[in-house]
Amino acid sequence: MTVQPMTFADDDSVKELRHLLREMIVRHLPEGFRGAFTEGASGQELANAFCERLAEKSLLTMSWPREFGGANASIWEQAALREEMWAHHEPRGAQYMGLNWVGPAIMKFGTPEQRAFHLPAIAGAKSVWCQGFSEPEAGSDLASLRLRAARTGPDEWQLSGQKIWTSYAGLADWCFLTTRTDRSGSKHHGITVFLVPMDRAGVTVRAVDSMLGPHHLNEVFFEEVIATEDEILGELDRGWEVIRYVLAHERIGIARYARSERILSLLAPYLPTDDARDSLAVRSAYARLLVKARAARLMNYRSVADSEASDGGVSGARLASTLLDQEVAAISLEILGEEGLYNDDRAPLEAWVEEAWRYARSATIASGTSEIQRLLVARAMTKAERR
Amino acid sequence: MKLPWPAEALAFEESVEASLGELGGIELTRACEADPAQRESKLRRFIDDLEIADVDFRAGEIEASAAALCARAAGRIVAPWPLAQQLAAPRNGDYEINSVYLVSGAPRRAAHLDIAGRAIAVDVHSGIAHRLEATGPLCGMPLDPFGVPACLGAPVDTPCDTVLVSIVLNAFWVLGALETAVSLASDYAVERAQFGRPIVSFGGVQWRLADLGGASSALTELAGFTLAKLIEGRATAADAFALHLQMLESADLVLTSAHQVLGAIGLCEEHDLVVIDRHLQSTLRRPLSYAKTAATLAERIGAEGFDGLYPVRTLGSGTTC
Repeated sequence: MTVQPMTFADDDSVKELRHLLREMIVRHLPEGFRGAFTEGASGQELANAFCERLAEKSLLTMSWPREFGGANASIWEQAALREEMWAHHEPRGAQYMGLNWVGPAIMKFGTPEQRAFHLPAIAGAKSVWCQGFSEPEAGSDLASLRLRAARTGPDEWQLSGQKIWTSYAGLADWCFLTTRTDRSGSKHHGITVFLVPMDRAGVTVRAVDSMLGPHHLNEVFFEEVIATEDEILGELDRGWEVIRYVLAHERIGIARYARSERILSLLAPYLPTDDARDSLAVRSAYARLLVKARAARLMNYRSVADSEASDGGVSGARLASTLLDQEVAAISLEILGEEGLYNDDRAPLEAWVEEAWRYARSATIASGTSEIQRLLVARAMTKAERR
Repeated sequence: MKLPWPAEALAFEESVEASLGELGGIELTRACEADPAQRESKLRRFIDDLEIADVDFRAGEIEASAAALCARAAGRIVAPWPLAQQLAAPRNGDYEINSVYLVSGAPRRAAHLDIAGRAIAVDVHSGIAHRLEATGPLCGMPLDPFGVPACLGAPVDTPCDTVLVSIVLNAFWVLGALETAVSLASDYAVERAQFGRPIVSFGGVQWRLADLGGASSALTELAGFTLAKLIEGRATAADAFALHLQMLESADLVLTSAHQVLGAIGLCEEHDLVVIDRHLQSTLRRPLSYAKTAATLAERIGAEGFDGLYPVRTLGSGTTC
């Protein structure tokens, strides 16, 4: 095994980008901004306005190819954008989903008409997407999805069934919807992706209250919803190919380690400084997490740098980040003690720790559980052994 | 952003690996444990032929990389020679130094000190160096197969980066050994069948593999990162102790999980995992335990901060809730 070491000192373009993004965050987001997903509409309005400012500076779609209105940003500029956004409460709100994987999937699998219609809207921060993947009987085993798409005319389909755990469905304009169009073959065959407007008759969203906060979890019901042939993304019955492409982008898309590093940095002043045994233990545990955060970042950079990164490499990096997320959340409460439980104006760090702790509960569940990630890592390891 | 391994360093690693293979690989380690005199008779010539004593870590990127990769190659068979210690030795001091041992206070024993030439001990906390002298013959024990009783002698001068260089080279040594353990576990999981199918098809085994693979990858990345910072002159003591802590954590996870995958066969002396496991322990316990490494790292971070996307400047500056 010959793995090259990397220094990851930012080059000038990445340094400038980080500086610009941090300046925009300070200038355009109110102090105490906790992300788009708050009670009421203000968070999403702020996120939309921030996205428009990013779009004005050609930063919103900087990772996209030029032919689709992007800036052909380097993989390191893209990584820096992900890091700065996630470490500052993802001020793009639900838009990040459209930018990170809905847009690229439409670029890869979409018709010229779909590209012309959807990509400018995503690039201009004019459309919010949700991802209709999980169902009551199809969680980690996504290919078991059942939401039925039945052809009812030469150009018409009827969609019936339910999606669940659909983030931002209540805010979304469009759904990237996975459906079952054929039950006769293997479960990976007969899946088709539709791009469906959320305001279409028969689509109902029911919010699910959760410890994560508003907008994160929803049920979406499709009752005899009419869709058209030109709303199919990719080939009929071959949607699994599209899903795999999306999942690869999704796994790499969130820089959890960056948020963990920022929380650790902000917590430093709160560490106990005395020589009591428990204080020493807390400082040691904190130091250990700084090391884990650095290692997680480097593993993520490895999967970015390796343009042919295997599923195992991406999953290993993701696993390191999600476990780190939970460990940082746990030590944050350990350091802040009872005050860490507060989410009002008495809370230290403007209640970020309380929110991060609640949200971290989902880190090893969302976008593929840590158990599934481990299976992918092990599969890649043993495949390498067999070669 | 990417620092490729210099071709010369990679070629050197290949030579080291090939030579150690010709000498018997892990069988050589077993043989030397049974008869420590074989270290001189079998390995001295290997050291001389490859001119390992001439590799100067401080002579720039190529030689530093060659030293690190040489340590990793030797670590793959836990080669019975104080190689990382010799590669860490400064080459141009007033006092000729053949090998460097890290200590915390007064040492009790040092591995291979009987064949280490003119050795020094450098305190990991203060950086102060003394001659390191053997006070008795080699006294092999299962978890310390080449331990030699030792004490500090007269003080000597040594470059201020000696602790950092030693920690990095030890990490590459351990990394090599862990790579072997990962490979042994992965191979076995594919080959071994139980309940009519390879054990790799069981979720519990796959999760173990994923955990040990992740732990090994974390050390790979952190070792490369710290080496690169050291070559660029940007590494701090906190960086080095961070690597040391990762080394200890990765070793514990990889070795424990590899044993679990291999089951009873992995406990037998005839199995290479046992040799890797036992022979690593002295490097993992000296000079600092896991808890003391973490505490030392916390101290260093408090003193000098910690580099990152959002750097830590100091700890506990007085802000209270």
